[in-house]
Amino acid sequence: MAIALLFGLGALQYKVGEFSRAGPGLFPLLVSGLVFVIGLVTVVRSYYVEPVPLDYSIKNITVVLLGLCGFAVLSAHVNMIVGILFLVFCVSFAGTAYSVARNLKIAAALIAIAFMFRNLLGLNLPLY
Amino acid sequence: MDILHNLAFGFETALTLQNLLYCAIGCVVGTLVGLLPGLGPLSTISLLLPLTYSIPTAGSLIMLAGIYYGAQYGDSVSAITMKIPHASSIVACIDGYQMTLKGKAGLALFTAGVSSFIGGTFAIVVLATLAPTLGDVALLFGPADYCALMLFGFVCVSFVTTGSLLNGLAMTLIGVLLGSVGTDVNSGIARFTLDLPFLTDGIGLISIALGCFGIAEVVKNLDSGSELTPFNGKIKLMPTWPEFKRIIPSALRGSVIGSFLGVLPGGGPVIAQFAAYAADKRFSKYKDEIGHGAIEGVAGQAAADEAAARTSFIPLMSIGIPENAVMALMMGAFIVKGIQPGPNMIATHPDLFWGLVASMWVGNVFLVVLNVPLVRYWLSVFKIPFSVLFPSILFFCCIGTFSINNSLDDIYITAFFGFCGYLFMRLGMEAAPLMLGFILGPMLEEYFRRALLLSRGDFSVFVTRPISGTLIVVVTLFVVWQVTDFFMKVRKARAH
Repeated sequence: MAIALLFGLGALQYKVGEFSRAGPGLFPLLVSGLVFVIGLVTVVRSYYVEPVPLDYSIKNITVVLLGLCGFAVLSAHVNMIVGILFLVFCVSFAGTAYSVARNLKIAAALIAIAFMFRNLLGLNLPLY
Repeated sequence: MDILHNLAFGFETALTLQNLLYCAIGCVVGTLVGLLPGLGPLSTISLLLPLTYSIPTAGSLIMLAGIYYGAQYGDSVSAITMKIPHASSIVACIDGYQMTLKGKAGLALFTAGVSSFIGGTFAIVVLATLAPTLGDVALLFGPADYCALMLFGFVCVSFVTTGSLLNGLAMTLIGVLLGSVGTDVNSGIARFTLDLPFLTDGIGLISIALGCFGIAEVVKNLDSGSELTPFNGKIKLMPTWPEFKRIIPSALRGSVIGSFLGVLPGGGPVIAQFAAYAADKRFSKYKDEIGHGAIEGVAGQAAADEAAARTSFIPLMSIGIPENAVMALMMGAFIVKGIQPGPNMIATHPDLFWGLVASMWVGNVFLVVLNVPLVRYWLSVFKIPFSVLFPSILFFCCIGTFSINNSLDDIYITAFFGFCGYLFMRLGMEAAPLMLGFILGPMLEEYFRRALLLSRGDFSVFVTRPISGTLIVVVTLFVVWQVTDFFMKVRKARAH
């Protein structure tokens, strides 16, 4: 693990530690104290352990998250069919191959499944 | 006789047409989803959990259990035929895939199915005898003892799942903190809600589970970017009699090992598999063949896998402490259904408890009868390319989160935890202890406060009570051992 990221993690845990309130916050305070200690130990330990390079690709996770949030927003304000279309088209940017025809097919299948859920399982989906 | 009587009672519950149906659906769906690349039992259960919400309590628990062992079997199928290891079926890859290469895929699948059946049957006997007894012991536990027990569980699970006590504990504690989001039970004050109304009820279990396991897994597979080649071999299922005879001793050995390891905190299927495989390698008559596609290499680990999967229900149902992440999810499902797993569960819901036990066996039969012959059709799942699959998985994640509260806000939370889960994965931190901490956190707080209330704020109660005292000492020793071990290693590294 890269030393820099360990520091970042320590800082993150620090914030969690500062967050608790008095009164009902006794227990969270104790726990976050422990987390803080562990964060400190992690930072200290990072001096001793060999750093390991971190590999990640920011593109895929961003695209997927964007798709999910877009789905929620569109389903809330327009309707879920548009949401599904958006979800499928957006997240397929993260895939290896991109094809409009295939996306349409997937979206159609998912919309059909959504209708099935609503009518057979009684889920209350705002489809349209 | 008592046990037989109880089991008969359980079968009465499990064998109603409805519950049989739920069990069958659970097994089949679990297998199908478990087959999908990149989805282990943990993600499968979290994905399918919302489906069980609209089903009556007994049925939904039976279905969930069915999903669990279906997923486990589906996992081993994908491991044997295509060498796609999940966390839960690494061992099946070794000899199972070798057998596939030799053209014995069908035999390997059959062996896995039958050994699972043997292991499962054995474990159910253990479960039926041990759980009620353990439940009686658990009644002796006071709040302080529960606290200590949970701490003990935290330490064991964090260490076993991550291999690093520090990372695991950090994740568990972050989970505990997440669990304290929402309205405080005792005072009614909203904590950590950032003034967002949808956080006052706390963070949904499903949101965290789907985010950390479902979405993170999908993105991980996207990152690796490899398309899988489907398995197109011929499958001959039935073994010859001498082959069949080789399954038995190894499966029995696996059953015993699995049942034992399944009960221990932090134990469970994965460790059991490795232990059984090692035992086979040591004691089997054909030990030289193991590693090159021996039947024993598949039979022993499959039996242990299944046995451990069953017996890991014992701590959950008798003491109320889940010992690994899958059980923590199960516990979440129990709680959603208004049942508090623990010593009282057997007394207050005997139909549920014994019904579940009996349905486990029924589920096992389903696995052998349904899944083994149908396995060649299951394999066609692999012909679906991942680029079609992953938008669908994401969609099901969305529907799953949405359907719990009919709230679209929950999808944002899921997305957030998807990001967290991805980050954790890239940092090499296991999300499983986080799950455990999240579910046990509120309970821990409750018992902790109650213990302090009873002792009037005196912390010594945790050390002076015999049960909790012993557990705390064990935990302390463990931590000290870890710390000294770390510094020894550092010194050694410096010396070089």
